[in-house]
Amino acid sequence: MAVIGTRVRAPRRPAMSDRRLALLLAAPAAALLALFVVYPFLTALLNSFADVDAASGRRTFIGIDNFVTIGSDPDLRAAFGRTVVWTVSNMVLQVCLGVLVALLLNARLRGQGLARGLVLFPYMVPAIVVALMFRYMFNDVTGLANYVLLDLGLIDAPLGWLSDPDVIMVTLVLVNVWKYTPFFVIVVLARLQTIPRDLYEAVSIDGGGRWAGLRAVTLPSILPVLLVAMLLRTIWTAYDFDIPYLLSAGGGPSGSAVTVPLAIRSLAFESGSIGQASALAVCMALLLIASAWVYLRGFNERTHV
Amino acid sequence: MAAVASPAQAMSRASPPRKPVDPFRAGQYVMLVVVVLAADLPLLFMILSAFRTEAANKQYPPSVDADTLTLDNFTSLFGTYGFGQYLQNSLVVSGLATAGVVILGTIAAYALSRFDFLPLRVMGRLAIVAYLVPPILILVPVTQVIFGAGLGDNLIALAALYTAVFLPFALWMLRSYFQGVAIQLEEAAMVDGCTRFGAFRRVVIPISVPGVITAAIFTFAAAWSEYLYASTLMTSTSNLTANPATYLLMGHYGTTSAGLLMAAGLVIVAPVVVLYLVAQRWLVSGLAAGAVKG
Repeated sequence: MAVIGTRVRAPRRPAMSDRRLALLLAAPAAALLALFVVYPFLTALLNSFADVDAASGRRTFIGIDNFVTIGSDPDLRAAFGRTVVWTVSNMVLQVCLGVLVALLLNARLRGQGLARGLVLFPYMVPAIVVALMFRYMFNDVTGLANYVLLDLGLIDAPLGWLSDPDVIMVTLVLVNVWKYTPFFVIVVLARLQTIPRDLYEAVSIDGGGRWAGLRAVTLPSILPVLLVAMLLRTIWTAYDFDIPYLLSAGGGPSGSAVTVPLAIRSLAFESGSIGQASALAVCMALLLIASAWVYLRGFNERTHV
Repeated sequence: MAAVASPAQAMSRASPPRKPVDPFRAGQYVMLVVVVLAADLPLLFMILSAFRTEAANKQYPPSVDADTLTLDNFTSLFGTYGFGQYLQNSLVVSGLATAGVVILGTIAAYALSRFDFLPLRVMGRLAIVAYLVPPILILVPVTQVIFGAGLGDNLIALAALYTAVFLPFALWMLRSYFQGVAIQLEEAAMVDGCTRFGAFRRVVIPISVPGVITAAIFTFAAAWSEYLYASTLMTSTSNLTANPATYLLMGHYGTTSAGLLMAAGLVIVAPVVVLYLVAQRWLVSGLAAGAVKG
């Protein structure tokens, strides 16, 4: 730590006040956030109440017409329904699997360190690569998935994983679960490692087995981090554009994989209805704020026990 | 579970007498293998396919034999399809964004970690909100801002946008890192004649290198993986980053061979995996503290 011994230099410049220095240090980041996040966010709000000229960006305010239009559009309602199913099924599967895998990786098995590293890989794989891999594996005719399942006798006829409008959302959810379950594994595993072993010993002294230990010690310990992780992942899953779009190659056969984010982009850039696209985004934002509120209330109740 | 973890048993690992196989334990090992295979087989299949001939990839029933290995997919990817240009674009954008996030994030996080008054508090909250705001929500106005400024199809503008988008995560990660650095060290340096900024530069930064590297790796990986903004803002083919370029290749599936696509996938995923392996230890603890938007 030689640096700490820095000598006093003879003519010292008058020091800037700490307050001004702090503001100066934070200013560039604040400016960037304002320009690329706050300003666009407010613009989206304004646009949702306006008819926006796609070329000039000029707004003509039309009240809540955009909301009425999107509310009465059957395609958008379908997209909305798909988003709800997509988000809920993703969360349920990812949380359950994530907790199970984290428990498994914390069970002091041999090769645990290596397995931890290997299990986290899917989370690092960029969405475009996920789409490439699984479009290849889930090809109806030549794909590995159909071949293996047919061979094992689990299905009688090849499944149209990505070509059958009734199946495609299931495929998208499965692939998304593959990619994002490791997030829950990481979060839960980190918490599990901090649980003192004597808590389990206390349970077993009281005559409790594995199940009692799980219920009395493990689950209460991981619940708070799990709720925070669920909040974050719910927001990003509901709004995820990349996996549904790339894996379904643009929305699937006859739009069978169009979720709200895909609808927002196509409304804005294909139909030029910027106002409606913004209204859709605002509706989604309100719903997510509501769900965040529910989560956080649950979080507070749990932690204040 | 408590019995399994008891110290007596931990010691018995070293001593030879064999215990009867615990069926629960055996089941756990089976599950572990299943989980690892489920996570990694798709990647292995991609790697294998990237190095096989078109004929081998097209055969049905599919086989996993590796007797027809070739580098043809990579030569045509970089030759015929000019993929090197897209990778270079990705590298430039991700590199600039990483530099931007690290520089702006470090100084702002220091300010947020050491001072607490209204404008800074507002900014801290703002960063949390910005972290939560999903890209699709602001995609349209962001596009209007950038094209309105005549900066559409500009790699530097894309890098500036990425800097803003990935800044909040780094900001909060570094802020908590700096909070862990004892303030006494800085005070000692200041007593010895450093200015506040000098103390930050000479004392806090050197101690915080691991945190800064973690933030850099996260940012680079996130920017490298980004698709939505890049595909919307880059309008000319020569300015495409690797991800949207690969999607265009995918659109020609049928004319484009599977092996070629898998080669593109491998080339894109490789840097992320290498970074991940290099920094695995830090990443896992960093991930536990929060996560990169994705």
